[in-house]
Amino acid sequence: MSQDVEAKVKSIIVDKLGVDESEVVADANFTNDLGADSLDTVELIMEFEKEFDISIPDEDAENIATVGDAIEYIQEKS
Amino acid sequence: MSEQQGYGLLKGKKGIIFGALDKRSIAWRIALACKREGADFVLSNAPIALRLGALDELSEKTDAKILPCDVSKEEEVEGLMKETKEELGSVDFILHAIGMSPNVRKKIDYKNLNYDWYNDTLDISAISLHKVLHFAEKTELLNNGASIVALSYIGAQRIFSKYSDMNDAKALLESIARNYGSRLADRGIRVNTVSQAPTKTSAGTGIKGFDGMYTFADKIAPLGNPTADECADYCVTLFSDLTRKVTMQNLYHDGGFVTSGISEEMIDGLVKLYAEEDDSE
Repeated sequence: MSQDVEAKVKSIIVDKLGVDESEVVADANFTNDLGADSLDTVELIMEFEKEFDISIPDEDAENIATVGDAIEYIQEKS
Repeated sequence: MSEQQGYGLLKGKKGIIFGALDKRSIAWRIALACKREGADFVLSNAPIALRLGALDELSEKTDAKILPCDVSKEEEVEGLMKETKEELGSVDFILHAIGMSPNVRKKIDYKNLNYDWYNDTLDISAISLHKVLHFAEKTELLNNGASIVALSYIGAQRIFSKYSDMNDAKALLESIARNYGSRLADRGIRVNTVSQAPTKTSAGTGIKGFDGMYTFADKIAPLGNPTADECADYCVTLFSDLTRKVTMQNLYHDGGFVTSGISEEMIDGLVKLYAEEDDSE
Protein backbone atom coordinates (compact mmCIF):
# COMPACT_ATOMS: atom_id res chain seq x y z
CA MET A 1 0.00 0.00 0.00
CA SER A 2 2.69 2.49 1.02
CA GLN A 3 4.60 1.85 -2.19
CA ASP A 4 1.38 2.31 -4.11
CA VAL A 5 0.83 5.68 -2.47
CA GLU A 6 4.38 6.76 -3.19
CA ALA A 7 4.16 5.74 -6.86
CA LYS A 8 0.78 7.41 -7.34
CA VAL A 9 1.86 10.63 -5.62
CA LYS A 10 4.96 10.82 -7.77
CA SER A 11 3.01 10.12 -10.93
CA ILE A 12 0.53 12.93 -10.12
CA ILE A 13 3.41 15.34 -9.49
CA VAL A 14 5.15 14.42 -12.77
CA ASP A 15 1.88 14.86 -14.66
CA LYS A 16 0.75 18.11 -13.05
CA LEU A 17 4.07 19.92 -12.84
CA GLY A 18 5.54 18.63 -16.09
CA VAL A 19 8.79 17.65 -14.38
CA ASP A 20 11.04 14.66 -14.95
CA GLU A 21 10.46 11.67 -12.68
CA SER A 22 14.10 11.77 -11.57
CA GLU A 23 13.51 15.19 -9.99
CA VAL A 24 10.64 13.93 -7.85
CA VAL A 25 12.62 12.85 -4.78
CA ALA A 26 11.44 12.87 -1.17
CA ASP A 27 13.04 16.16 -0.15
CA ALA A 28 12.17 18.05 -3.36
CA ASN A 29 10.25 21.20 -2.47
CA PHE A 30 7.26 21.83 -4.74
CA THR A 31 7.89 25.55 -5.08
CA ASN A 32 11.67 25.87 -4.87
CA ASP A 33 12.79 22.67 -6.59
CA LEU A 34 9.90 21.68 -8.87
CA GLY A 35 8.83 25.16 -10.03
CA ALA A 36 5.25 25.00 -8.72
CA ASP A 37 3.28 28.25 -8.47
CA SER A 38 0.37 28.90 -6.11
CA LEU A 39 -2.13 27.48 -8.60
CA ASP A 40 -0.05 24.30 -9.02
CA THR A 41 0.11 23.63 -5.32
CA VAL A 42 -3.66 23.93 -4.93
CA GLU A 43 -4.11 21.77 -8.03
CA LEU A 44 -1.84 19.09 -6.55
CA ILE A 45 -3.73 19.07 -3.26
CA MET A 46 -7.05 18.72 -5.07
CA GLU A 47 -5.68 15.92 -7.23
CA PHE A 48 -4.42 14.07 -4.14
CA GLU A 49 -7.87 14.45 -2.57
CA LYS A 50 -9.53 13.01 -5.65
CA GLU A 51 -7.07 10.16 -6.19
CA PHE A 52 -6.97 8.99 -2.56
CA ASP A 53 -10.53 9.96 -1.64
CA ILE A 54 -9.44 12.07 1.31
CA SER A 55 -10.02 15.64 2.42
CA ILE A 56 -6.99 17.88 3.01
CA PRO A 57 -7.96 21.01 4.99
CA ASP A 58 -6.16 24.26 4.04
CA GLU A 59 -4.27 24.35 7.35
CA ASP A 60 -2.82 20.89 6.61
CA ALA A 61 -2.15 21.75 2.95
CA GLU A 62 0.04 24.67 4.06
CA ASN A 63 2.41 22.20 5.74
CA ILE A 64 2.81 19.98 2.70
CA ALA A 65 5.85 21.52 1.10
CA THR A 66 7.83 18.57 -0.22
CA VAL A 67 7.20 15.31 -2.04
CA GLY A 68 8.01 13.45 1.21
CA ASP A 69 5.52 15.57 3.18
CA ALA A 70 2.78 14.66 0.71
CA ILE A 71 3.53 10.92 0.76
CA GLU A 72 3.71 10.85 4.56
CA TYR A 73 0.47 12.82 4.98
CA ILE A 74 -1.47 10.67 2.52
CA GLN A 75 -0.16 7.42 4.01
CA GLU A 76 -1.41 8.50 7.42
CA LYS A 77 -4.79 9.62 6.10
CA SER A 78 -5.65 6.83 3.71
CA MET B 1 -15.33 54.04 -8.23
CA SER B 2 -17.35 50.99 -7.24
CA GLU B 3 -18.10 52.68 -3.91
CA GLN B 4 -19.77 55.58 -5.73
CA GLN B 5 -23.52 55.99 -5.94
CA GLY B 6 -24.96 54.04 -8.85
CA TYR B 7 -27.10 55.21 -11.74
CA GLY B 8 -29.46 52.24 -11.64
CA LEU B 9 -28.24 51.26 -15.12
CA LEU B 10 -28.69 47.54 -14.50
CA LYS B 11 -31.80 47.65 -12.37
CA GLY B 12 -33.78 44.43 -12.85
CA LYS B 13 -31.05 42.82 -14.95
CA LYS B 14 -29.65 39.38 -14.18
CA GLY B 15 -26.37 37.85 -15.19
CA ILE B 16 -23.42 35.52 -14.78
CA ILE B 17 -19.99 36.81 -13.79
CA PHE B 18 -17.13 34.43 -14.54
CA GLY B 19 -13.58 34.77 -13.33
CA ALA B 20 -13.41 36.65 -10.03
CA LEU B 21 -10.59 35.35 -7.84
CA ASP B 22 -9.75 38.02 -5.29
CA LYS B 23 -10.20 41.74 -4.62
CA ARG B 24 -7.73 42.68 -7.35
CA SER B 25 -9.58 40.75 -10.09
CA ILE B 26 -11.27 42.83 -12.76
CA ALA B 27 -14.26 40.46 -12.53
CA TRP B 28 -14.46 41.17 -8.78
CA ARG B 29 -14.61 44.92 -9.43
CA ILE B 30 -17.18 44.36 -12.20
CA ALA B 31 -19.34 42.33 -9.80
CA LEU B 32 -19.28 45.19 -7.28
CA ALA B 33 -20.13 47.73 -10.00
CA CYS B 34 -22.99 45.56 -11.33
CA LYS B 35 -24.39 45.24 -7.82
CA ARG B 36 -24.10 49.00 -7.36
CA GLU B 37 -26.12 49.47 -10.56
CA GLY B 38 -28.89 47.18 -9.36
CA ALA B 39 -28.11 43.84 -11.03
CA ASP B 40 -28.54 40.35 -9.58
CA PHE B 41 -26.13 37.67 -10.68
CA VAL B 42 -24.35 34.43 -9.92
CA LEU B 43 -20.59 34.16 -9.60
CA SER B 44 -18.69 31.33 -11.26
CA ASN B 45 -15.14 30.14 -11.37
CA ALA B 46 -13.20 26.89 -11.63
CA PRO B 47 -13.21 24.73 -8.47
CA ILE B 48 -9.47 25.28 -8.11
CA ALA B 49 -9.88 29.07 -8.26
CA LEU B 50 -12.62 28.87 -5.65
CA ARG B 51 -10.22 27.09 -3.33
CA LEU B 52 -7.37 29.49 -4.09
CA GLY B 53 -9.34 32.71 -4.05
CA ALA B 54 -11.64 34.56 -1.70
CA LEU B 55 -14.93 34.41 -3.53
CA ASP B 56 -17.02 33.84 -0.40
CA GLU B 57 -16.35 37.44 0.58
CA LEU B 58 -17.61 38.73 -2.78
CA SER B 59 -20.59 36.41 -2.61
CA GLU B 60 -21.61 37.92 0.73
CA LYS B 61 -21.02 41.49 -0.44
CA THR B 62 -23.08 41.10 -3.59
CA ASP B 63 -25.63 38.59 -2.30
CA ALA B 64 -24.67 36.34 -5.22
CA LYS B 65 -24.59 32.56 -5.23
CA ILE B 66 -21.34 30.85 -6.22
CA LEU B 67 -21.68 28.15 -8.87
CA PRO B 68 -18.42 26.25 -9.59
CA CYS B 69 -17.70 25.43 -13.22
CA ASP B 70 -14.68 24.07 -15.04
CA VAL B 71 -15.25 25.62 -18.47
CA SER B 72 -13.05 23.02 -20.14
CA LYS B 73 -15.82 20.47 -19.49
CA GLU B 74 -18.91 20.81 -21.67
CA GLU B 75 -21.19 19.03 -19.19
CA GLU B 76 -20.16 21.47 -16.45
CA VAL B 77 -20.90 24.51 -18.62
CA GLU B 78 -24.31 23.10 -19.51
CA GLY B 79 -24.92 22.27 -15.83
CA LEU B 80 -24.01 25.81 -14.83
CA MET B 81 -26.50 27.27 -17.30
CA LYS B 82 -29.27 25.06 -15.90
CA GLU B 83 -28.37 25.94 -12.30
CA THR B 84 -28.30 29.63 -13.16
CA LYS B 85 -31.74 29.35 -14.70
CA GLU B 86 -33.05 27.72 -11.55
CA GLU B 87 -31.44 30.40 -9.42
CA LEU B 88 -32.24 33.54 -11.43
CA GLY B 89 -34.41 32.65 -14.38
CA SER B 90 -33.12 33.80 -17.78
CA VAL B 91 -30.27 36.33 -17.91
CA ASP B 92 -29.45 39.69 -19.52
CA PHE B 93 -25.68 39.73 -19.31
CA ILE B 94 -22.63 37.48 -19.05
CA LEU B 95 -19.09 38.52 -18.20
CA HIS B 96 -16.36 36.18 -19.47
CA ALA B 97 -13.15 37.01 -17.59
CA ILE B 98 -11.44 33.65 -18.00
CA GLY B 99 -7.86 33.18 -19.05
CA MET B 100 -5.01 30.89 -18.17
CA SER B 101 -1.88 29.63 -19.88
CA PRO B 102 0.14 26.78 -18.35
CA ASN B 103 2.95 27.66 -20.78
CA VAL B 104 3.13 31.24 -19.49
CA ARG B 105 2.97 30.04 -15.92
CA LYS B 106 5.81 27.59 -16.56
CA LYS B 107 7.78 30.17 -18.56
CA ILE B 108 7.97 27.88 -21.59
CA ASP B 109 9.46 29.61 -24.61
CA TYR B 110 6.91 30.21 -27.40
CA LYS B 111 9.03 28.29 -29.91
CA ASN B 112 8.98 25.23 -27.65
CA LEU B 113 5.41 25.22 -26.40
CA ASN B 114 4.03 22.18 -24.66
CA TYR B 115 1.19 21.41 -27.09
CA ASP B 116 -1.10 19.84 -24.51
CA TRP B 117 -0.79 23.04 -22.51
CA TYR B 118 -1.22 25.15 -25.64
CA ASN B 119 -4.54 23.39 -26.23
CA ASP B 120 -5.47 24.08 -22.60
CA THR B 121 -4.64 27.77 -23.06
CA LEU B 122 -6.89 28.08 -26.12
CA ASP B 123 -9.64 25.94 -24.60
CA ILE B 124 -9.81 27.70 -21.24
CA SER B 125 -9.13 31.25 -22.44
CA ALA B 126 -11.05 31.38 -25.73
CA ILE B 127 -13.08 28.34 -26.75
CA SER B 128 -14.82 28.57 -23.37
CA LEU B 129 -16.60 31.69 -24.70
CA HIS B 130 -18.05 29.59 -27.50
CA LYS B 131 -19.15 26.90 -25.02
CA VAL B 132 -20.74 29.48 -22.74
CA LEU B 133 -22.72 30.97 -25.62
CA HIS B 134 -23.62 27.58 -27.08
CA PHE B 135 -24.99 26.19 -23.83
CA ALA B 136 -26.64 29.48 -22.87
CA GLU B 137 -28.59 29.23 -26.13
CA LYS B 138 -29.27 25.53 -25.78
CA THR B 139 -30.74 26.00 -22.32
CA GLU B 140 -32.66 29.12 -23.46
CA LEU B 141 -30.91 31.13 -20.78
CA LEU B 142 -30.39 34.36 -22.72
CA ASN B 143 -33.05 37.04 -22.89
CA ASN B 144 -33.49 39.00 -26.12
CA GLY B 145 -31.23 42.05 -26.03
CA ALA B 146 -28.74 40.38 -23.66
CA SER B 147 -25.14 41.60 -23.60
CA ILE B 148 -22.05 39.41 -23.43
CA VAL B 149 -18.64 40.90 -22.68
CA ALA B 150 -15.34 39.02 -22.71
CA LEU B 151 -12.15 40.60 -21.42
CA SER B 152 -9.28 40.71 -23.89
CA TYR B 153 -5.85 42.27 -24.32
CA ILE B 154 -4.03 44.02 -27.16
CA GLY B 155 -1.77 40.99 -27.47
CA ALA B 156 -4.47 39.82 -29.90
CA GLN B 157 -3.27 42.46 -32.41
CA ARG B 158 0.31 43.22 -31.42
CA ILE B 159 2.79 40.73 -30.10
CA PHE B 160 3.98 41.12 -26.54
CA SER B 161 6.55 38.35 -26.30
CA LYS B 162 6.13 37.57 -22.60
CA TYR B 163 2.39 37.07 -23.19
CA SER B 164 3.38 34.10 -25.35
CA ASP B 165 0.48 31.80 -26.34
CA MET B 166 -2.02 34.11 -24.63
CA ASN B 167 -1.54 36.45 -27.61
CA ASP B 168 -3.04 33.65 -29.74
CA ALA B 169 -5.79 32.89 -27.25
CA LYS B 170 -6.96 36.50 -27.18
CA ALA B 171 -6.99 36.67 -30.99
CA LEU B 172 -9.21 33.58 -31.03
CA LEU B 173 -11.41 34.97 -28.26
CA GLU B 174 -12.02 38.19 -30.20
CA SER B 175 -12.82 36.22 -33.36
CA ILE B 176 -15.32 34.00 -31.53
CA ALA B 177 -17.02 37.13 -30.14
CA ARG B 178 -17.48 38.50 -33.68
CA ASN B 179 -18.45 35.18 -35.22
CA TYR B 180 -20.99 34.27 -32.53
CA GLY B 181 -22.16 37.87 -32.26
CA SER B 182 -23.28 37.83 -35.88
CA ARG B 183 -25.44 34.78 -35.18
CA LEU B 184 -27.16 36.22 -32.10
CA ALA B 185 -27.90 39.65 -33.55
CA ASP B 186 -31.35 38.62 -34.77
CA ARG B 187 -32.40 38.53 -31.12
CA GLY B 188 -30.71 41.83 -30.34
CA ILE B 189 -28.03 40.03 -28.36
CA ARG B 190 -24.66 41.79 -28.33
CA VAL B 191 -21.27 40.12 -28.04
CA ASN B 192 -18.18 42.27 -27.55
CA THR B 193 -14.69 42.08 -26.17
CA VAL B 194 -13.13 44.76 -24.01
CA SER B 195 -9.41 45.09 -24.58
CA GLN B 196 -8.24 46.29 -21.19
CA ALA B 197 -4.82 47.80 -20.51
CA PRO B 198 -2.40 45.81 -18.33
CA THR B 199 -3.98 45.69 -14.88
CA LYS B 200 -2.34 44.78 -11.60
CA THR B 201 -4.34 41.65 -10.82
CA SER B 202 -3.14 38.32 -9.41
CA ALA B 203 -3.28 36.82 -12.91
CA GLY B 204 -1.59 39.82 -14.58
CA THR B 205 1.30 40.13 -12.18
CA GLY B 206 1.97 36.40 -12.66
CA ILE B 207 3.25 37.15 -16.16
CA LYS B 208 7.01 37.52 -16.40
CA GLY B 209 7.87 41.07 -17.42
CA PHE B 210 4.44 42.36 -16.36
CA ASP B 211 5.85 45.48 -14.68
CA GLY B 212 7.58 46.48 -17.91
CA MET B 213 4.41 45.92 -19.96
CA TYR B 214 2.38 47.90 -17.43
CA THR B 215 4.80 50.85 -17.35
CA PHE B 216 5.22 50.87 -21.15
CA ALA B 217 1.45 51.13 -21.68
CA ASP B 218 1.01 53.63 -18.87
CA LYS B 219 3.70 55.96 -20.23
CA ILE B 220 2.37 55.88 -23.80
CA ALA B 221 -1.38 56.07 -23.14
CA PRO B 222 -2.31 59.77 -22.93
CA LEU B 223 -4.86 59.03 -20.19
CA GLY B 224 -2.64 56.42 -18.52
CA ASN B 225 -3.67 52.84 -17.75
CA PRO B 226 -7.26 52.50 -16.55
CA THR B 227 -7.80 50.67 -13.26
CA ALA B 228 -9.94 47.58 -12.73
CA ASP B 229 -12.68 49.79 -11.26
CA GLU B 230 -12.65 52.00 -14.36
CA CYS B 231 -12.93 48.89 -16.52
CA ALA B 232 -15.88 47.81 -14.37
CA ASP B 233 -17.67 51.11 -15.02
CA TYR B 234 -17.12 50.68 -18.76
CA CYS B 235 -18.47 47.12 -18.71
CA VAL B 236 -21.57 48.34 -16.86
CA THR B 237 -22.37 50.60 -19.82
CA LEU B 238 -22.02 47.63 -22.18
CA PHE B 239 -24.38 45.53 -20.07
CA SER B 240 -26.87 48.42 -19.93
CA ASP B 241 -29.53 49.41 -22.45
CA LEU B 242 -27.45 52.46 -23.43
CA THR B 243 -25.36 50.42 -25.88
CA ARG B 244 -28.00 48.37 -27.67
CA LYS B 245 -26.43 48.56 -31.13
CA VAL B 246 -22.83 47.90 -30.11
CA THR B 247 -21.89 44.38 -31.11
CA MET B 248 -19.08 42.30 -32.68
CA GLN B 249 -16.57 44.90 -31.55
CA ASN B 250 -13.23 44.76 -29.82
CA LEU B 251 -13.44 47.85 -27.63
CA TYR B 252 -10.19 49.31 -26.37
CA HIS B 253 -10.24 50.46 -22.78
CA ASP B 254 -6.64 51.52 -22.57
CA GLY B 255 -6.36 55.29 -22.02
CA GLY B 256 -5.62 55.84 -25.72
CA PHE B 257 -2.68 53.43 -25.94
CA VAL B 258 -3.75 51.66 -29.14
CA THR B 259 -3.81 54.80 -31.26
CA SER B 260 -0.78 56.49 -29.72
CA GLY B 261 2.71 56.38 -31.17
CA ILE B 262 4.96 57.52 -28.39
CA SER B 263 4.61 60.08 -25.62
CA GLU B 264 6.88 63.09 -25.07
CA GLU B 265 7.81 61.65 -21.68
CA MET B 266 8.87 58.39 -23.30
CA ILE B 267 10.94 60.20 -25.96
CA ASP B 268 12.73 62.28 -23.33
CA GLY B 269 13.40 59.16 -21.26
CA LEU B 270 14.74 57.18 -24.22
CA VAL B 271 16.93 60.07 -25.43
CA LYS B 272 18.52 60.29 -21.98
CA LEU B 273 18.92 56.51 -21.70
CA TYR B 274 20.67 56.16 -25.07
CA ALA B 275 22.79 59.27 -24.50
CA GLU B 276 24.09 57.63 -21.32
CA GLU B 277 24.76 54.40 -23.22
CA ASP B 278 26.68 56.32 -25.93
CA ASP B 279 28.74 58.12 -23.28
CA SER B 280 29.68 54.88 -21.59
CA GLU B 281 30.96 53.28 -24.81
